[in-house]
Amino acid sequence: MRDLVKAELLRFRGWALGAFAAHLLVLAFLARVVDLAQQPLLVYRVFGSIYVLAGVLLGLYQMGSYRRPNVWLNLLHRPLAPWRIATSLLGAGLAWLAVAAALPVLLAAAYQSGLTARVVDDRHWLLPLAAWLLAAGGYLAGACCMLGTRKRSAAALVLLVAVALNQASGVWALLVQALALAWLVAMLIVSFKPDLSAPPRAPLATVLLALPLQMAVYLMILLLQFGGQMLWIMQGSHPNNTETPPRGGANETERMSPKQRMLAGLAVSRAAQAPLWREQVALSDVAGIGLDLHAVPVRGALTNAAPTDFDDAGRGVRWTFSHDRMRLAGYRIVGGRAAGTLGVGAANAAFPAPTVAIGGLPGQPKGDRSLIAGNMLYHYVSDSARVLPRIRLPAGEWLLGVTPVGENLAVLSDRALYFFDGRDVVLGEALLAPRQRMPIPGAAGDLRDLDLIELVDGYLVSASFTSYAYMMDGAAPYQALSWVHDDGQVTTVARRALVFDYPAWFRYQAWWPSPALYALRQGALGLFAVPDPLQATHPAPMPRGIKLLAAGLMLVSLLAALWLVRRRALSMPARMGWVLACGAIGLPALASLWLLYPACELAGRRAEGQSALASAAPL
Amino acid sequence: MADTDYVIETRALTRRYGDKLALDTLDLAIAAGHIHAIVGANGAGKSTLFRILLGFLPPSSGSARILGRDSQRLTPSDRGRIGFVNEEHTLPSWMRVSAVTAMQRHQYPRWNQAAFDEVIGHYHVLPQQKVGQLSRGERAGFNLALTLAQGPELLVLDEPTLGLDVVAKRAFLESLMYSSAAESCTVVYCSHQMEEIERVADNLIILERGRLAHMSAPDEFCGRVTHWIADMPFAGPPPASVPGLLEVQRIDGLHHYLVLDQDEGFAGFLRGAGARTVQSMPVSLDRAVNGFLAKNHAMPVAA
Repeated sequence: MRDLVKAELLRFRGWALGAFAAHLLVLAFLARVVDLAQQPLLVYRVFGSIYVLAGVLLGLYQMGSYRRPNVWLNLLHRPLAPWRIATSLLGAGLAWLAVAAALPVLLAAAYQSGLTARVVDDRHWLLPLAAWLLAAGGYLAGACCMLGTRKRSAAALVLLVAVALNQASGVWALLVQALALAWLVAMLIVSFKPDLSAPPRAPLATVLLALPLQMAVYLMILLLQFGGQMLWIMQGSHPNNTETPPRGGANETERMSPKQRMLAGLAVSRAAQAPLWREQVALSDVAGIGLDLHAVPVRGALTNAAPTDFDDAGRGVRWTFSHDRMRLAGYRIVGGRAAGTLGVGAANAAFPAPTVAIGGLPGQPKGDRSLIAGNMLYHYVSDSARVLPRIRLPAGEWLLGVTPVGENLAVLSDRALYFFDGRDVVLGEALLAPRQRMPIPGAAGDLRDLDLIELVDGYLVSASFTSYAYMMDGAAPYQALSWVHDDGQVTTVARRALVFDYPAWFRYQAWWPSPALYALRQGALGLFAVPDPLQATHPAPMPRGIKLLAAGLMLVSLLAALWLVRRRALSMPARMGWVLACGAIGLPALASLWLLYPACELAGRRAEGQSALASAAPL
Repeated sequence: MADTDYVIETRALTRRYGDKLALDTLDLAIAAGHIHAIVGANGAGKSTLFRILLGFLPPSSGSARILGRDSQRLTPSDRGRIGFVNEEHTLPSWMRVSAVTAMQRHQYPRWNQAAFDEVIGHYHVLPQQKVGQLSRGERAGFNLALTLAQGPELLVLDEPTLGLDVVAKRAFLESLMYSSAAESCTVVYCSHQMEEIERVADNLIILERGRLAHMSAPDEFCGRVTHWIADMPFAGPPPASVPGLLEVQRIDGLHHYLVLDQDEGFAGFLRGAGARTVQSMPVSLDRAVNGFLAKNHAMPVAA
């Protein structure tokens, strides 16, 4: 076994060392010109994709070179169990990936930590491991693609998709990657056998291969649906690209200007002041309330959902948020020398959450910035290099954005809209007290547009909940108008129900092909993830017709499985297991049954299958 | 061997690829000891048989046993008892000869260094050479040396001299024939080269369209095939009426018949058909096998 590892290490020595050198060169160059630890998410995604791609290519090449019948025979016909041969080959590949993918990242982190004043947190020391896990995942998936029959072996790639879409962050993201890696190793071990065309027989092996295959089929169904949607768009009748959107629908509301939207809402209002407000809207500037945060930063996350640094040009300092210290760490923009750390107030206290710098508030000196951190808004004073707390929202709320409205400030959280007196910003350094609080009449994830006008006695606020009206996660679209009185009282003055632009089968297209796999998908994507407040929605109730459609498809799958298992060399328990699986999972399970046990098995093996598989377990 | 005297035993072994039968209810029993040659036209099922025997392909029906074990359930130690050499001599081209040798030595518990040295001595192969730098003949010899040094009870050679030049072929055969390791194991030798078969084989097995067509000593098979030359002034008898006919040719006015299992009575048949003179002669194994295999070979209608 050790000899095989050595042989395989020797085989890829040149390529691996070349890749290591090239990778190190790229990182060294980039480290000279940018802070590699504080790059936007896109940069990490590009690097991650390259690691995965490199791994996939290595896996394809390595196993592809052994895949030819005579070479495969020569490799496996030796007094070693196939799993030991497999682990030898994989061990060598994984070792070289550690050298080519992880080691340069580690050296880059060491350079930034030891030779620069840039922030290198604990989370950054996990990046080499993340690089290795991604490359290793790609490598194993590529290797799996080369084993087994072509129709089904590409299903291993679905685990890479799961890793890419999973919402976990930090160590939890690594754990998800490690789990995917373990699954891929198991897939590879059970596929690594003399007869590559042989379908799995043991229950565990069947589950290991069948589940990704079913997920891949499910993904193909979604891709087909996406392709259909593209054709729909090309045809020109898709609600998103018709000249006139469907009347009274979510799309129409989204395409309106803030003023039109507010007037449309007022049109259904029965409030006595509605005619007067309509006139006021026509004459006023309608303010749109925006978000400064589009993703909530999580402490310890490997990548940066939002920028972590900002420049104080006046002082010539770049401040970077350190997740370890929960404070800002500064270094000179010119020269790169350390410029100390900065916390909250005179006590230099830690921030409650990772900060994101936004522009300064009206009236504040140029060069000052506002910092959002959890439920807090801080004022960075450039002149004195101090950070002062200015707004504190109730604990548990996420402050998402600050918008000046006239002389006042509108502050949006994931639960409410707050109004502050803007004059207080420049009058002192104390915490600002909200004058009004309007709970958001819906879920933050559904909220698409928030518009308001200032009234003589308060505000008129329009909230449109249409973000996910095209899919099953979203609420039934609607628009709500609220009157926020000067005294803080909030009155709902209109609620306009919008129609769905898309038929139910379209909105639930991810669900009805397989409710079970949809649930698995959602579970896999949210595994170990911190719930994102910006994605919270109030899904509309599912129409009965959709449930019937899904149930009908499951029944069809079950009946088709009953027919199919009789034509496959399967033991009775295995047949029962497959029929039940097809009934519960639906069409993807049926397709996996068809792909895993090809028809050529039928001809002469039925009788043999009965005896040989008598001991086989249900799945 | 556990409970049988046969190193290879198949019963009604069938393998189909779609609608095509590669092996057709093959019943084959190869006894332990000696060198057994398997011959057959392309597509006769030889490679399929080996792949099934080594567990790399499942049979469509029937059973196959090798060294007494179901071929689909071979254990690593069973594999250690079976040597296999194919025509590609697939060895890791990036490794040095010494490293490959060391790897094999560690993997095979019955490694026989003397057998390795004996065979590799026929070739000018240096330990520090990379496998990729060896000529095809040297690679074949190195592969044979590695396989024999494993101390196999059964050695399967699947067209090992394919693509080798005359010198390399001779070197390979001599390495095999004069190896003491080869003497102590059963050898199954598959080849299209009849002069090789003639030199090395004790037993001749002919596969035809996935079925066992013949099995005997090579001399015995040659004895069954005779070559008759008849001087016939007119057209000879219709081929369908010629008993045991394998092949007929007319050369320089003489009719040449290659027939199977015909005694002196065949001379009477030819004379009865108008032959003025009749002469018979023995045939080489090459001619006999080729005639035998060509008998049912598909050919264009006009031929």
